[in-house]
Amino acid sequence: MIFTSPLGLLALLAMPAIVAIHLFRRRFPPREVAGLFLWQVVRQTPEGGGKITRLPITASLILECVAALALALIVAGARLQPAGASEHLVVLLDDSASMAATNALGESPRDRAVRRVLGEIERLGSGGRITLVQSGQRPSVLLGPAALAVEAAPVLEKWKPQAPHHSPSLGLRLARELAGRTGRLMVLSDAPPDPAVEGQVEGAVWVSLGEPLANVGITAAQRTVSAIALALGNFSDVTTRRRLRVVASEREVMAKEIELPPGPSSLNLPLPMGLPSLRVILSDDALLRDNEAILVEPRPQIVAVENRLGEGRGRQALDKAIGSLAGVIQAKPGHLVFEPASELDEPPSPGAWRVGFGRASAKLIAAGEPKDFVGPFVTEKRHSLLQGVTLAGVVWTGASPLAADKVHPLVSAGDRPLIAMPALPGAPSEAAILFNLDLDRTNLIRAPDWPILISNLVEMRRQNLPGPDRWNYRAGEWVRVRLGRDPTGPLHFRCSGVERDLPPGRLLEFIAPSPGGLLQVMEGNDVLFELGVNFLDEEEADLRDRAAGEIGKFNPQSGRLRTENGPASDPLFWALVAIGGAAIVANWCLLAPRRSNA
Amino acid sequence: MSKPRIDWPAVQTVAAAFRMAMPRAPVGGRLGERLGVGTGSSLEFQDYRQYAPGDDLRHVDWAAYARSEALTVRLYREEVAPRIDFVLDVSRSMILTEQKFQAYGELSGLLACVSASTVADARIITGSGVEPLLLRRPEEIERLLCCDALLSALEEPHLPFRRRSLRVVVSDFLFPHDAEVLIGRLARDGASLSVVQLTLAEEAEPAIEGGRRLLDVEGRGELDLVIDEKAVHDYRARFGRLRLGLSRAARGAGASFAHVVAGTPLREVARALATAGVLETV
Repeated sequence: MIFTSPLGLLALLAMPAIVAIHLFRRRFPPREVAGLFLWQVVRQTPEGGGKITRLPITASLILECVAALALALIVAGARLQPAGASEHLVVLLDDSASMAATNALGESPRDRAVRRVLGEIERLGSGGRITLVQSGQRPSVLLGPAALAVEAAPVLEKWKPQAPHHSPSLGLRLARELAGRTGRLMVLSDAPPDPAVEGQVEGAVWVSLGEPLANVGITAAQRTVSAIALALGNFSDVTTRRRLRVVASEREVMAKEIELPPGPSSLNLPLPMGLPSLRVILSDDALLRDNEAILVEPRPQIVAVENRLGEGRGRQALDKAIGSLAGVIQAKPGHLVFEPASELDEPPSPGAWRVGFGRASAKLIAAGEPKDFVGPFVTEKRHSLLQGVTLAGVVWTGASPLAADKVHPLVSAGDRPLIAMPALPGAPSEAAILFNLDLDRTNLIRAPDWPILISNLVEMRRQNLPGPDRWNYRAGEWVRVRLGRDPTGPLHFRCSGVERDLPPGRLLEFIAPSPGGLLQVMEGNDVLFELGVNFLDEEEADLRDRAAGEIGKFNPQSGRLRTENGPASDPLFWALVAIGGAAIVANWCLLAPRRSNA
Repeated sequence: MSKPRIDWPAVQTVAAAFRMAMPRAPVGGRLGERLGVGTGSSLEFQDYRQYAPGDDLRHVDWAAYARSEALTVRLYREEVAPRIDFVLDVSRSMILTEQKFQAYGELSGLLACVSASTVADARIITGSGVEPLLLRRPEEIERLLCCDALLSALEEPHLPFRRRSLRVVVSDFLFPHDAEVLIGRLARDGASLSVVQLTLAEEAEPAIEGGRRLLDVEGRGELDLVIDEKAVHDYRARFGRLRLGLSRAARGAGASFAHVVAGTPLREVARALATAGVLETV
């Protein structure tokens, strides 16, 4: 007999306790009476202490001791058989969407993978253990670790590969950790391992269950206000015909037969304005996953610009630059306000970003005279304001000295900031930008950098307006949505059955979920934004390089997993349960009539 | 304690001086030699009443007719052999001690002899599930006194009494009960009820003994108790209420009640029963 929890033997202390209780319980000489009820209701607590008398060996004492012994042995994990050793198989399932591609017989690599795993389970027998890992950008454990093999079938039944193209490395790493020294690792995919991961497959069996198939898929899709642009890929060696349908709210908007030569093709489809989200559907082929895209109509963010600069060549140059930008209007109050730099420290209007030109207010100015600079200019190139800006040939005029601790320079000449972000109380850092520049004398307004700077300013502001950065995404891409206010209810999104909570905040960031579809960003029960999430994966759509085969072999040093099948597997457990239970019931029956009568 | 040692000659000697008291209410039973309360055909005159068609012409009082010209008939008292139902408590408490067992045997023997001296239809009831024993000879009562039951027959909800029978109940009544309900149940549809409570002297008047583990002889539990002055006082008060309750309930139901203490000489017991109205002297 072995004990899996020897500390449980401490429960045997219950036996001397029971004996002691019985020993001290009978402290008065017994006397038989006819009407016990006439004696009751008086003091029942003995006044004297207990005295040791000869232990009466009663049936109750014996039964209680037997029950205590049985329970102590159960707690101590008494076993007749030692813990078993089982074979442990860790299977990494390739979750990429191409695993669902079907051949002419309607069979997919996923079906073959399931059959293979079930075959392995049969080989392992009833005592075998299995761990199922699903590959992906974030690999996950489908079953286990080291679950009973019989539990695998229902999990495999539900497994539907649909992830975008990804490297198996992370999944392999997780599977290896789960396998440890005792598990055997098997990878089930539809293609042989890439040379990049081939080194990681050592000690594992890589089973490829794919077959080369011709396929046509949508590899990119974009929607403007009045058209759809599609990139289609014909991953075969022959020209093929497909039917393309565009559906809006279950109503077919457009349908046409298209002929696709081998390789990539593009397609532009003009659309009437004001249509809701559209589904672009290609007729069925090997892989269904890439035959459909959902496209939400983009709603461009209009930036309202307000020009408060005084009359002069500077104001004219600004108006001209603004006039050349799309998605910009001049309005009050503006999202972006251009004004003299001296007004920057006045209280801002809510939501307005301000750009000041000229001599800054006295709070920002340091001692010294304004200077002109022709370079060299030191720029903070990572800042989005300065993307594409070179300042080549620019004469920077009227740059006043600024207090170093009150501004964050973006462009400097020597120790003098030329473009800077003043630290204004109660406003975000981007909300004010100071151009330490005399617009009337500089040649910046005639340089190519001028419209770029103004455009960057407008785009910076546009990026910060409420709403999503984009309206259509690929699965796996980061989605960024600005609320522009504090949320008033719990935030979450739902997309094709996937529903996740979002952390409360003005800026929502999350990964576009797979398998994609129409994604709704919700605040409580209100839909805030609808976005399109699409598969659009050229790597997965190309099924020509899929193959079948098996390489590698199991690590010969992998041992067997010591398994504890639980107490129910040991006959001693059940014997102890029966003995303990019978003793408790018998003791109860023995004492119950006297109790009830008393 | 399988059977009590009953000195039958002594018991019969005492019993010869007594007979069962007859009630005022009509007694059921076949014709016998005891005068009943109702009208019958004995030689003992009871009353006159006006003649009614169907009356036996032999009972017409012709002398009265001559005097009054009214037909009247003479009525005579009935003679009956009363039905007697003895209820014996054969629970373990009745043989708690040898003395109690002996007293119980003698008391039962006395009642059996008294009943036998009357031409009576006597039965012994020991429980609802036991066929009542027809008492032909007083000595037959001995074999019923094995007293190994866990419950008294009186605690059973239904006893096989006969209608208009004389009922004699012997028990220690040391079980939880409601006297009014119990006596009412025993007296229902009977001609009379006699209740005899037999206890030990120490059951009525316990002594201070100190700590004892009290075990109910009928398995009704056990109790560790210091039998001190207060405990004894409380017990006596409770026993007194029990006896008084039985007595009052018996009086309320028109029954007779007697308390017999084991160890009392049998002749004194018989006198006490006669005083209580259970027996009457011959």
